[in-house]
Amino acid sequence: MPEKTISIRIDGELVNAREGQSILEAARDHQCEIPTLCYLKGLSSVGACRMCMVELAGTERLLPACTTPVQDGMSLRTKSEKLTLYRRMAVELLLVERRHICSVCVSDGHCELQAMAKSLGITHLRYTYSAGRLPVDMTHPRFVLDHNRCILCTRCVRTCEEVEGASVWEIASRGIHSRIVSDLKDPWGQAHNCTDCGKCVQACPTGALAEKGYGVHQMVKDTDRVSRLALRRASHLGA
Amino acid sequence: MQNVASPGLSAKERVLIDQEVTSHEGRPGALLGILEAVQAANAHKYLSMDALRYIADKTGTPPARVYSAASFFALFNLFPQGDNTICVCRGTACHTRGSRDLLEKVCLDLGLGSQDLESTSEADKLALTTSDQKFTVRTVACFGQCALAPVVEINHHILSHVNERTLQREVGALTRGR
Ligand code: SF4
Ligand code: SF4
Ligand code: FES
Ligand code: FES
Repeated sequence: MPEKTISIRIDGELVNAREGQSILEAARDHQCEIPTLCYLKGLSSVGACRMCMVELAGTERLLPACTTPVQDGMSLRTKSEKLTLYRRMAVELLLVERRHICSVCVSDGHCELQAMAKSLGITHLRYTYSAGRLPVDMTHPRFVLDHNRCILCTRCVRTCEEVEGASVWEIASRGIHSRIVSDLKDPWGQAHNCTDCGKCVQACPTGALAEKGYGVHQMVKDTDRVSRLALRRASHLGA
Repeated sequence: MQNVASPGLSAKERVLIDQEVTSHEGRPGALLGILEAVQAANAHKYLSMDALRYIADKTGTPPARVYSAASFFALFNLFPQGDNTICVCRGTACHTRGSRDLLEKVCLDLGLGSQDLESTSEADKLALTTSDQKFTVRTVACFGQCALAPVVEINHHILSHVNERTLQREVGALTRGR
């Protein structure tokens, strides 16, 4: 069955989109870049980071582009002062929620959070860190989880479940106490179904998940590869 | 073979979980129903890690998802609860009528750590249990009885317009039965 084509306006330009597509996908199809953190091509979208907020003509409320499906006649703005303000605020709050100390991080220079902060012109934090020092899980033979660098985007959760099929990760507790956990908050090294595939590490936008043996700013992630595998899997399942 | 994943679970608990898993099979929200039933049947009203592991195993649910649900809902306890539960309301109405002082006082009287109190902010759920397992002090966000503020619930019995004296008396009565 051919998909229905609908037309929407993105930043004034009339573009065609497929029914069922998200605003984000439609925009990216037309080379319009909307910033994202929790979105990763090929994985399901959860709308966790609020980076991709866009303005819809006729309403005050901002919409997350990654989880909002396109609708005929939508007129969207992806760049504005208001959006920049919101995105800045969202990144600042992510930064104060954990102790992100870029200068000693394996992902320094390759971190999506850091890049986002830079592109939004964030040079310092106006608030104090809201969390104390959190633990680092070194129990896995090949990988490390540093909670101090986690932004709870759930890319690892979705990658492990949707691509590897191991479902090792979840978010436990809530609010400021939310943490990524493996199994029953067991040490990662004891997680029953972990196949040591490393996909979650590659999907992680920050230095929260990293491979052992890398020094400061040496850890470069291959998220494209995770996306490719995710899409292969989806097509294999006939989704 | 069947108790490999949960060595610390008694035969009785295992049978109970087996029953609950069977009776909830195929129902939406089955996991929450199972967790609730298993906690209710536990003598200390909590879900042990062994129980969670066994439930994950039996239902084929990833353990992380079981833990996520058990740690998300305030209803579930991951630690043994005391024989008596004192629940102090920390909602706005009760707060303005001094519920923080009540909470601090009762914790002090029962010898519960003040550092734990300080590290939990207003909105957090708190559940502290005395080392003799006699008392658990917890907080709720609002009982919906704001006109009676400050409200404290002791063993599911609502006390209204509580002050330090009445609270001390009620707790004292339970302590003597300790
Ligand atoms: S290494 Fe692979 S199996 Fe293990 S947690 Fe990461 S994605 Fe899951
Ligand atoms: S560990 Fe990484 S991928 Fe997982 S939630 Fe945290 S930041 Fe996201
Ligand atoms: S990318 Fe849309 S909310 Fe994170
Ligand atoms: S605030 Fe305590 S009962 Fe509503």
